[in-house]
Amino acid sequence: MTTPPRWNGPFDPASSDSDRGPGALSGALSGALSGARVPVSRRPDEASPRTGAGKGRRGPADPVRALMHRHHDLCARAVDPLEIAAGLEAHGVTDRTAARFRHRDVFSLAEELYARVERAEEPEPPAAPAPGRALGVRMVLGALWLLPGALCVATAFAVPHVDAVGNVGKDAAIGLAVGAGGALLTVIALWLCLRRGPLRVHGSGRGGRIAHALCTCWLLGYAAAGDWLLTGLLDGRRPYEAAPAAEAAVLLALAVAPAAWCARWFAVRARRRLAAGRGLDEFAAGVRPLFAGVVTAYLCGLAALVPAARLTVPGSPPAAAPLSTAEAAVVALCGLLLLARLLAVHGFRRAALSGVAVACAVQAAALAMAAAARLPGAAPLGAPVARLTAAQGAAAVPVAACGAAALALLIHAFGVLCRASAHGAPGARTTRTVSATRITRTAPNRAP
Amino acid sequence: MRVGLLTEGGYPYATGDARVWCDRLVRGLAQHEFEVYALGRDPGQEAGGWGDLPRNVGWVRTAPLWGEPERRPGGRGGRRQRRRFAEHFGELAAAISAPYGSGAPHGSCAPGRTTVQADRFANALHGLADLAGEYGGLSAALRSEDAVRTLERACRTLGAPHGAQRARAADLLTVTEALERALRPLSLDWYGDGAGGDPGLSGVDLCHAATGGAAVLPGLLAKRRFGTPLLLTEYGVRLRECYLAGAAGAAGGRPLPGPVRTLLAAFHGLLAAEAYARADLITPGNTHTRRWQERCGAERERLRTVYPGMDAARFAEVGERGAAQPGDDRTLVWVGRIEPPKDVIALLHAFAEVRRWQPDARLRIIETRRGDDPEADGYPAHCRALADHLFPDEAADAHSTGDNPVSFERLGDPEVPTLADAYGAGGVVVLSSVVEGFPVGLVEAMFCGRATVSTDVGAVCEVIGGTGLVVPPRNPRALADACLALLSDAERCARLGAAARARALELFTVEQNVAAFRGIYLELMSHCPVRREEVGAGGGPLPFARPAEAHVPGRWTAGRDGDGFGHWLPGPPAARPAPEHTPTWATPPPPEPLGVGPRPSEESA
Repeated sequence: MTTPPRWNGPFDPASSDSDRGPGALSGALSGALSGARVPVSRRPDEASPRTGAGKGRRGPADPVRALMHRHHDLCARAVDPLEIAAGLEAHGVTDRTAARFRHRDVFSLAEELYARVERAEEPEPPAAPAPGRALGVRMVLGALWLLPGALCVATAFAVPHVDAVGNVGKDAAIGLAVGAGGALLTVIALWLCLRRGPLRVHGSGRGGRIAHALCTCWLLGYAAAGDWLLTGLLDGRRPYEAAPAAEAAVLLALAVAPAAWCARWFAVRARRRLAAGRGLDEFAAGVRPLFAGVVTAYLCGLAALVPAARLTVPGSPPAAAPLSTAEAAVVALCGLLLLARLLAVHGFRRAALSGVAVACAVQAAALAMAAAARLPGAAPLGAPVARLTAAQGAAAVPVAACGAAALALLIHAFGVLCRASAHGAPGARTTRTVSATRITRTAPNRAP
Repeated sequence: MRVGLLTEGGYPYATGDARVWCDRLVRGLAQHEFEVYALGRDPGQEAGGWGDLPRNVGWVRTAPLWGEPERRPGGRGGRRQRRRFAEHFGELAAAISAPYGSGAPHGSCAPGRTTVQADRFANALHGLADLAGEYGGLSAALRSEDAVRTLERACRTLGAPHGAQRARAADLLTVTEALERALRPLSLDWYGDGAGGDPGLSGVDLCHAATGGAAVLPGLLAKRRFGTPLLLTEYGVRLRECYLAGAAGAAGGRPLPGPVRTLLAAFHGLLAAEAYARADLITPGNTHTRRWQERCGAERERLRTVYPGMDAARFAEVGERGAAQPGDDRTLVWVGRIEPPKDVIALLHAFAEVRRWQPDARLRIIETRRGDDPEADGYPAHCRALADHLFPDEAADAHSTGDNPVSFERLGDPEVPTLADAYGAGGVVVLSSVVEGFPVGLVEAMFCGRATVSTDVGAVCEVIGGTGLVVPPRNPRALADACLALLSDAERCARLGAAARARALELFTVEQNVAAFRGIYLELMSHCPVRREEVGAGGGPLPFARPAEAHVPGRWTAGRDGDGFGHWLPGPPAARPAPEHTPTWATPPPPEPLGVGPRPSEESA
């Protein structure tokens, strides 16, 4: 870009015409020597025959200022000059453009821009990620968590009534069918609930998942029939009572909803705190009371669910009675399962699995000791279990097993779930839905 | 020769960039055996499967750079591992959170980074790699609370850049997650320690990284562990893409937070500098890439521009036919996607100017993108509206049907079935972009032997050389002047077209690309051979299989005459003295013993 000439005096066409003549050089030299500014760049009348551009239009003294103004956002948020250079190139600025700003290349132009433009303050991040769905939809989805509980309650309510109505010989079969169907529906609803929402465990790893599922099944099975089995082993055979098992099942199914709500509340609040908080310590200090609150709320919810379960299942203690040992075992199991699930959801699957496995091992050991005591000469083996059950009832074993495991998990979770790394980058968890395949796929490519 | 081809999000997959040239390279160098080490970029690519692979590709190994990390068995180490990890990761964090532009001026490292910082980064990288090799995977450690806390500590130290100082907990988590993904190649079992005696990269004679970024990491490790020479080819600067991606944001929304961009930019800058410093040869695809590489610390003597190769056979027929047919020589052709960076508006304004001086000129705008609704995007519709506004339909007389001098066509229409037909349809090919990387369309026009008028953006000047007209961007009047100059001078058009075709055939064919890489492979092999331990018949190491003199640089069998001590001499072989046909050891002993090399008298004794 040539700068338009500056005139010190009136334009004289005769002198510019003489530039073309043989004496142009001498004329220009003499003009320069005499101090007069001679236009040598180009004459205004031939500047641009069709445009007329460059007629009296002079460039600014600081050409970079216009560029600064045009790319202000880019320069203000850049973290180093190379980012400005990349951005300028994306806008079509080349080295030849940079030469017009008296720079060698885009990089040095970017360095000047980086030095001259003040860094903008980072805008505050949005306080809370906007919920993807409307409030009503979310409430309906949240209410879906009540489905397993509702199905289980309906089954437990229906089976005795079916028994009472059908006084024919085949009533037992009908009751059994209704019970089995209800149980199946409950399990399906439970499975659907655990596949989505806040209780979903991300990531792959089939082995750990299967082990976790097996341990959970064992714990549930023990809650259903463990006490009966243990008593039978210690004191001899007696008939199976369905009422405590039904009450335990109802309580467990009802506890799914508060567990999901608590997990969701914890995740959302922790993420919000993560987005707002500055340091890791500050985050941990804020999340600890949150976690304590979540666990307390869940336990309070369970305390409220126990009378509901008693009202549903006939043959259980009256609603106002104090908590029995069997119910305490179920409550401890609910707590254990929630903590294990929370840990697994936040990426600590190994800890979750070991907690559940310890509870299983204790229960299995109690059963094994009771069974071994029946062998001739091995009676002392069963003495501790027998003494415990004699003092506190058969349900003392699951209370001790699940309670101790839950307590250990609670202490562990209090340490790890209050860290920032447990909560991941906001939004990252939703994108990681596809499980990774094997880390390395190796294939020979020898065509036969 | 076995070549390890390192790609990221590219070659063996059916989708992705850098795929076509890798395929041509592997097919073109059929005498070499290739092993492909590919890092997948997203699950869609993984699902798309691999393309058709030629027979000289021996093994293909892929690993995902997305998704949750897989925990390899034997994962958690003890306290010792955690301490070593904290030490190395602390170094890495300190390197990436050091202030920009502090300390000594940049010499052979990234701009704004000191050599101390670069050394720190390299040490940390290799320390982490060793740790990953010993304990099998770093993913869990890189996502642990220890890593986040180490990073936080580094960011809060005095002197850390302003951007890093303000990092919040969420930013730190984002950064550690990104670092974990970027460093995932360190944890792979590609380095010969895998099960089944698979040699992996330790059995490769040359590592060829097809892109910068994460794909270089395996090459860097192989170079350090086994001395494998590393060749780095970049057709687009990965560092620059990182900057642009950071500014564009994760999902096209807001840009990433400032602290995240600060730390990740430092990481990618240092990684690029380390790659440029360690690579034995770097082959940028054009001058623009070369400038970025030089800026980031690549030494000039190890840079060699290798232009991308394109298939010239498609355009051979049109190119050989010579200049345009008499009916077409007043036609301007524009080929490409109708997008704002292509500045079709300026082209239309320029054509309006052309029409004022050359009323029988026509403009054909041929759109290459297909399957997309033109009304969906505003810009093509806007261009059509402007064309209708500027150029009303015209008819030859009062009784014939009119026609618009500007026609919008699509590639694949019966008028222009192929790309070669599109370029051959006019006398002059116009490129009016305001932003351009490597102008592929321009090269195709050159292959077709067409005179071109293009704007001075991207690598245009370098591609066109002197065989076409170049005008400043955003200057329709200059564009019009250049077009008029060519339209009115058919002979000049033909001359420029022929010159352009000759230039393109010399510089931008697949054959020259493959030949360049063939030469580079052989040169790297001869200059930096992998020194492997010789193995005896029983599989045990064979000591003294290679004499100690073999490690002396240069040709140790040569005497003091000739090339001196055998340093490689650039220049034509004719300039050097002719090699003697008698081996050195067979000639009579020199009067005085040599400093290096076997002494014949001792050998015979």
